[in-house]
Amino acid sequence: MKDAIRICDVEKYYGNENHVTKAVDRVSFSVKTGEFVGVMGPSGSGKTTLLNLLSTIDHVTAGHIYYGETDITELEEEQLSEFRKKNLGFVFQEYNLLDTLTLEENIMLVMTLQCRSKKEIQTRCSELLHLLGIEEVKDQYPYQVSGGQKQRCACARAIANHPLLLLADEPTGALDSQAAQTLLETFENLNQQMQTTIFMVTHDAFSASYCDRILFLKDGKIFHELSRGNKERRDFLNAILDVLALTGGELSHDS
Amino acid sequence: MIRKLAFRNVKRMTKDYLVYFITMAVVSALMFSFNTLLFSKEIQNLFEMAGTMAIMTGLATFFIVLIVAWLINYMVHFILEKRSREFGIYLLAGMKKKEIAGLYLFENLLLGTGAFFVGMLLGFFLQQILLSIFYSMIQMNYHLHLEFSWNCIVMTAASYGGCYLLALLRCRKKFKKMNIRDLMDSQKENESISAKNENRKKIFFPLSVIFIILFGFFLFCYKEWDIGIAILFLFGLVITIYLFYVGISAWISCYVRKKGNAVYCGNTLLLLRQLSAKVRTLSFTMGTLTALFTLALLGSSAALMFNHFQNQILINKFPFDVQVYSSQTDEDFCKEIEVLSRETKINSVYCYNIYENGTNTVNTYLYTHLKEFGTNYQRTDGTPNQKKIDQNNAMVYYDYDTYMAVSDYNYLRKMLKLPQINLKDNEYMFHMKDRVFRQTGDFSDQICIENEGERLRCAGYYTESFSQDGHNGSDYILVVPDSIAQKMRPYYKEMVSDIKGKTPVNLQKKLDDIETGDENICSGSDSIVLFAAKNLVRDNLVPEVKYMLSSIIFPLFYIGLVFLCVSLTVLSVQQLCDSVKYKYRYRILFQIGYSRKEIEKIILQQLVSYYLCPVLMAFVISGMISIYMGARFNFYTGVYTSPLLYFLISASLFLGVYVIYFIITYIGFKQNIEQGYMAR
Repeated sequence: MKDAIRICDVEKYYGNENHVTKAVDRVSFSVKTGEFVGVMGPSGSGKTTLLNLLSTIDHVTAGHIYYGETDITELEEEQLSEFRKKNLGFVFQEYNLLDTLTLEENIMLVMTLQCRSKKEIQTRCSELLHLLGIEEVKDQYPYQVSGGQKQRCACARAIANHPLLLLADEPTGALDSQAAQTLLETFENLNQQMQTTIFMVTHDAFSASYCDRILFLKDGKIFHELSRGNKERRDFLNAILDVLALTGGELSHDS
Repeated sequence: MIRKLAFRNVKRMTKDYLVYFITMAVVSALMFSFNTLLFSKEIQNLFEMAGTMAIMTGLATFFIVLIVAWLINYMVHFILEKRSREFGIYLLAGMKKKEIAGLYLFENLLLGTGAFFVGMLLGFFLQQILLSIFYSMIQMNYHLHLEFSWNCIVMTAASYGGCYLLALLRCRKKFKKMNIRDLMDSQKENESISAKNENRKKIFFPLSVIFIILFGFFLFCYKEWDIGIAILFLFGLVITIYLFYVGISAWISCYVRKKGNAVYCGNTLLLLRQLSAKVRTLSFTMGTLTALFTLALLGSSAALMFNHFQNQILINKFPFDVQVYSSQTDEDFCKEIEVLSRETKINSVYCYNIYENGTNTVNTYLYTHLKEFGTNYQRTDGTPNQKKIDQNNAMVYYDYDTYMAVSDYNYLRKMLKLPQINLKDNEYMFHMKDRVFRQTGDFSDQICIENEGERLRCAGYYTESFSQDGHNGSDYILVVPDSIAQKMRPYYKEMVSDIKGKTPVNLQKKLDDIETGDENICSGSDSIVLFAAKNLVRDNLVPEVKYMLSSIIFPLFYIGLVFLCVSLTVLSVQQLCDSVKYKYRYRILFQIGYSRKEIEKIILQQLVSYYLCPVLMAFVISGMISIYMGARFNFYTGVYTSPLLYFLISASLFLGVYVIYFIITYIGFKQNIEQGYMAR
């Protein structure tokens, strides 16, 4: 598999002349097409900053991020929006659905943005609603459905335009264990059946166990990397827990 | 400590609700400058009718106090809702409800007092502008000077304080009812998106459109309006205004749910959903804003009507420098001439008779054919009700037709610098008010003017301004050859005079002071603005009438302006607060790929749609009513401005203020949103 994304010596500093915080400190790694990568780390370790950099919402202080041959750190603001629209999908802990739109309309919105035909939008929409099992609640508003359904809707919205990369920021953070499991299975299916590349930030070992590879972040640096390989999910979970135990269990209490 | 907290909160409140603060300052400035007109000693000394302005401004102030109290009340509750969490924290920290209510009240009063003082400073500038406009309207010179009157300041402070008192009285109650949990939670309350009974509610949209069309149809086509029908329509209109918004929001919502074609184009889906949710939550406020906009537009249209009357009709109303009427046909006007020679330099004086020959053919024709009289002087079969005409209770026209000798007529024309006319022995001619002639046209074939049994031929019509409000006839005068006039009976006597130089300010009063018997002047069919008097001194009367008209025009503009500012503040503050509340919506749009430009476009489209919503409805309703009013006004007064123009001018004035508020809101909104998603 070829590299879909390459992160080269990325740095992100915040603050002013007197006080500088290194949120991301010379991080380099790559993500292959169709890979499911997870990032774990305590709060303040730079997970979300890294995700924001990858998702073009934030600018790097130094370094490069390549999507294929495109270096997004070189793009202008308008080009970045266009890039985001075409290549990225987002799933957040807080769902981030628009509360004035029904679930179906939330999914439709990203497609109308790309000026697709009515028929195309309708077909894709019903396909996604079916795939994520939220057909029955499609006409409900976000506040009328459960957290799990909201998150699956956010997922459907994220993959509606066949993105190059699906970015997930603590997607199970606000869900109960059952809903979290359903969502993670959905991610797994998307990854395996539709070859969707997923980049997920999480602090939950169970969620992380669905990934192919985990990057452990601390103080803005990658301090460890774990690949699932051919391991069973249960074994991979144990391996993750072992790494967490090595760091003093710090990761599991930082919500 | 509490005082410190209050001052800090006020500072923050002023920043967050700058539009509200500015509006309150503008309102107090407007109050102050309009009250100046009321208390200005100079104006009081100038005019006999200074009381009219006091009554009209007082009336306007009453409505303004009510509406500004509504604004304050609205804002106090609005801010209370926004800050409820903060008040909840105060309660948790151990403050008593009474103390919090007191704190909030104190903050509001501080804000109000601040706005009042800023407004007073602004008021002194506005006062000069207003006085300049006022003096130029009544054709007098105005030299800039500060008009300072304690009464005026006290009156302004009292009206302004009255607004606060009315508004804040109800605020304490609200605090009493609240508990910590309510306070902490109320900020989380979102716009209700519940779609209950949408299908049923959407019927209100076509129903209100039908009602408005029906209202327009009745307004222009139905002739027999009475109070009952008017009240019925007014009531219907108020209900329609409110139900329209319930209907349109349900209608949009149903359209989106049905997935109409427009939903799939660009940003329409998002815009329609946002608009319908907003209108649904704010349907009552939107209705009230529409009503206020409508009143503001109608007020300024009516003010413009009087202004056009002043510019077109009033300047021609008194063609002679001085004109005096006397019902005594042997009057020699020696007392009047004595006053004139004492007070002025007379260029020329001319006394002449108005004649009658015992007939009232023209009066009968006019009583039965002018639309002003309707069918009042007709029998049920449409023929003239001669008995009623002969009784002449209304005293619009004299009992007999009025005649003038051609030599007198030509002398008067010469005074007015108009060309002379010639009449043959068997001819007569009309001099009529232009307004009346426009309605009657040539009606000489409908009437018979005779001299000793021989029918005279009509030689034509003249319609120049000729003092026909009871002096040179009422509405019309028939001009006949001298030989024919001499055979008639003198009816009443007139004197006109041309004065050299400036007319003394109190000449009219001096002439009025001369003792005479009862004088019954029949003033003709003018209505709305009518000025019938025995003595007419042009240069005294024109400013007096203009002052009287100003006392209608100024308060109407005053009301219009305040209503407009109040409504726009509500709209603006609503939007600005939403921008803080909905930052995250735009952040989501940014995340899913909307560029900064696209988001700016959505904000613009969204704001335009919110702002247009109440205005479009107000434009339709006030447009119809003001065109109707304008047409009636022109009909009764003879002003020839197109009725549509009154509306268009006031609509453009209105839009001018509207655009200012819109721009302020748009900039603020954009900044708030950008802070949300552009934060690096």
